[in-house]
Amino acid sequence: MNIIVNKFGGILTSRKDGKEAYLAMQASLKGIPDDEILNVDFVDVLSLSPSWGDEFITPLKKIYGDRLVLKNTSNSSVAETLELISKIHNLNFNIVN
Amino acid sequence: MIKNDLLGIGDTARYIGVSDKTLRRWEKNGKFLPSYKSDGGTRYYSKVKLNLFLNDSVELARAWVVSNTGENITPEQHCEISTVFQARLERMYFDLVRNGDLSKNTVALVTAVVGEVGQNSFDHNLGNWPDISGVFFSYNVEKREVVLADRGQGVLKTLKRTRGELKTDEDALKVAFTEIVSGRAPENRGNGLKFVRKQVQEKFENLIFQSGGTEIMIENDVKDLIISHKEISYSGCFVRIKF
Repeated sequence: MNIIVNKFGGILTSRKDGKEAYLAMQASLKGIPDDEILNVDFVDVLSLSPSWGDEFITPLKKIYGDRLVLKNTSNSSVAETLELISKIHNLNFNIVN
Repeated sequence: MIKNDLLGIGDTARYIGVSDKTLRRWEKNGKFLPSYKSDGGTRYYSKVKLNLFLNDSVELARAWVVSNTGENITPEQHCEISTVFQARLERMYFDLVRNGDLSKNTVALVTAVVGEVGQNSFDHNLGNWPDISGVFFSYNVEKREVVLADRGQGVLKTLKRTRGELKTDEDALKVAFTEIVSGRAPENRGNGLKFVRKQVQEKFENLIFQSGGTEIMIENDVKDLIISHKEISYSGCFVRIKF
């Protein structure tokens, strides 16, 4: 399954919006098979900050573990946000660029 | 000096949204002097000088944070709710990109830092604004400067909810900017300012953050926070970012 982050907006900095985005995904995520990869694609994200990222990415990582694959993370704000989140929660993200 | 250009201290106080007492204090510490003082000691302020003051975002935001009424800023500078702030943040992003002086990656980081600081004000004061909700937000593309301020509860009071042992503004600011709050903490908030510090130290010029009576400065390529104590205490926060 693919999640295109940009569909939630180009500039993602609000904790509240991150939480809403995560909740909005729940219906689509409900039926995915246990072995399916979840691709989260940051293509065309203009700016991401840790508050939004922590509400969206962290719970996905905790639920889907190694099945979560992050793509197109070269935007510096995306890369820096993922670095901080992985440090806070001691997570290793599976990143494919 | 043109006489029509002069205002007395009461009118001046109303004009820029602070009290007479604040103007007298600013005079005493040399921050803002009357343009003319009569032999009897009556103070007069030049409108031209006042307008220059009002166009200075740093001074304007600082005056707004301490003013009684909070009426000295324009609707354009005041983002009452987070969606208004978000819309103006997006405008800033595209203004910076259009200007062309900074790479898109740097603009992305500036926007993330400003967004993190500004949205923090809304997140931390939700339902608890002491009087006026929202943030002062102003940016200058040429000066590469962003000014943010709020009339919220300040860092100490909001951090005390999860870190009850904190006693001073200095302690609270140090925790906010340096300590990673565990993912097991009662709430997830509180780590965005570490991101802000890292970006400023590595890629920006500097950042000033005042809450309560303590100001911290983060400078490019300087590891430690520079801490100072201020005469005027803010109940909320004042932030200036230079990038």
